[in-house]
Amino acid sequence: MNAESVIFEPARNSLEQFQQECVANLTECIVTRDAQESALQLSFVLKSLPAGEIFAQDHPGLRSLIHAKTDRPIRWSSEGTPAESSQVTITLAEALIAQTGSVLVTARCGGRGGSIVAPCHIVYATINQLVPDLQTALTYLSRERKLEVNSFACVISGSSRTADIEKIMVQGAHGPRRLVVILQTKT
Amino acid sequence: MSTTPAQQFLRDAAIKSADMVHREIIRRGMESYETVHLKGRARIKDWEAARQQCQEIKREAINHLDHYLLQFEEKVIARGGHVFWAADSHEACTYVRDLALRLGVRTVVKSKSMVTEEIQLGPVLEKAGIKVWETDFGEFIVQLRNEPPYHILTPCMHLTRDQIAQLFREKLAVQIESDDPGYLMTVARRKLRQAFFTAEMGISGANFLVADAGVVAISTNEGNGRLCTTLPQSHVIITGIEKVIPRLEDLAVLWPVLATSGTGQGITTYSTLIGGPRQPGEIDGPEEFHVVLVDNGRSRLLADSEQREVLHCIRCGACLNVCPVFRHIGGHTYGTIYSGPIGSVLTSHLAGVKEFKHLSYASSLCGACTSVCPVKIDLHHHLLQNRRNAVAAGSQAVSERLGFKLWRYTMLRPQVYSIAGWMMRALMRMINGLGLTATILDPMRKWNRDRAPVPLPQKSFRALWRKGLGGN
Repeated sequence: MNAESVIFEPARNSLEQFQQECVANLTECIVTRDAQESALQLSFVLKSLPAGEIFAQDHPGLRSLIHAKTDRPIRWSSEGTPAESSQVTITLAEALIAQTGSVLVTARCGGRGGSIVAPCHIVYATINQLVPDLQTALTYLSRERKLEVNSFACVISGSSRTADIEKIMVQGAHGPRRLVVILQTKT
Repeated sequence: MSTTPAQQFLRDAAIKSADMVHREIIRRGMESYETVHLKGRARIKDWEAARQQCQEIKREAINHLDHYLLQFEEKVIARGGHVFWAADSHEACTYVRDLALRLGVRTVVKSKSMVTEEIQLGPVLEKAGIKVWETDFGEFIVQLRNEPPYHILTPCMHLTRDQIAQLFREKLAVQIESDDPGYLMTVARRKLRQAFFTAEMGISGANFLVADAGVVAISTNEGNGRLCTTLPQSHVIITGIEKVIPRLEDLAVLWPVLATSGTGQGITTYSTLIGGPRQPGEIDGPEEFHVVLVDNGRSRLLADSEQREVLHCIRCGACLNVCPVFRHIGGHTYGTIYSGPIGSVLTSHLAGVKEFKHLSYASSLCGACTSVCPVKIDLHHHLLQNRRNAVAAGSQAVSERLGFKLWRYTMLRPQVYSIAGWMMRALMRMINGLGLTATILDPMRKWNRDRAPVPLPQKSFRALWRKGLGGN
């Protein structure tokens, strides 16, 4: 018997739970049907951001998604790391976790800086990457030997925040103020 | 004559517990913690089962500490990292200082780590001419105030927003236009960003050391822990040997339980795993990666079969938050790095039972701490054991020893007890009657100084009992 299923309520509908948890932890989750709609939604998000450079993980899927939709300068991960002035980072994820509304990234997802340096982080993922819980995500990391080829992995649950002053929650501490997940149902 | 920690503690406790402004700030902070904590607990289907499992994971790790630490070390070295075993604070600080000097480090960015407070690393680096920036928002504030953290999780919970705005005006030489927490955060973020992009070394603590995967787990909400381990050329982790856990999958329960107990969140915003320096094919990350495993008295605690489980602690701060003593005297009064119930237990081991036994007495033994501890440490019984150990070591005052001898003598002799009771009541009536309450002549003065005198009964309990109280 899996001990975790006793401790945590098992997810009945992973997508529904993922969306609910995103609302709770202040992740913006946009569900799209196909690549065309994803590109459109991405362009809407980019339009809402201040002018400036995009940093993106160098991946064919992302290249086709971003290129057509913006005239901003793009720095690809094959050309360097995100600059201090980067307005947004766009990366893939290793997995999405329904239980906690989280994004699992590793160093290959735009490096360590790809998910922390800019004020906005956009993650492009597909529904087959959605796993029900943390246990499954961690087992995936071990089974696929992800930590043997990556020096870094992170379960990201929402935007950067602090409640250090009078326990009042403030979004956007040292990391991104916004975390946007574009979740495509057609893979 | 110098003040002992016990005398200082009593003095500060008397001042703080009468400081109504301070009490109000803490009350509000703790109330909001309670709300989110209970809400967080309700999200977990079986909280007791979760605690049980966390306890078992930590017990297994602590009982096989040698095995798991070596497994962890092997993996880190295989990725090109370095592991240094430090017996005490001095060894740990010297290693980090020498490393920083060898790498030509001028600026260090630090994320929150109680172990670096414990070993007093900051002053050692500053003395070597290295600028150290605390980058956790709360730590940054207490660093500006030249103060130790007030609470292991919320270092500046004793301050109000206008105190922080005033502090920024004085120390940061910038215009501060508002005391809105979001605005103050932005000011600090801007200041610290310069530090992040210039620092040559990042120093962090660790929440867990995962043995089978050979990675360090660091939880951070602000993301400063991420930047400290991403931007600088070198990354040093300083942590206690007790942080190791056997398997990566253990985090599936430890991460949610740590977050729930600490802040009421389902999981900390950035639950990060780091296994070494930048690997081939990776675009960023430090070139140098060092883990400093600090013992500093922990092996001694490991040898104590009665209190070994104190090493299970995951430093969530829950026991501080529920403790009625902490709520009244606050974090700084303890005069120790670790405060609250866990601090009172731990400090006796790390810093000496003789000097810090008073902390084990500063408890009503109500057991609130034990009831919330996510790894089920029997905290209040450990306080009791510390008291017993202090007595066995003969460290109590002569007057106390005599007092207890007299008490024992009386309690074993009903007639003597009865006479003593009568005398005491007569004496107290006389003192109260003469208006000498709370003066030097009043044997109850310590109580009566700050409280209304306890009303004295006309008759003893025995007399009432004989008259029929015991009849029904």
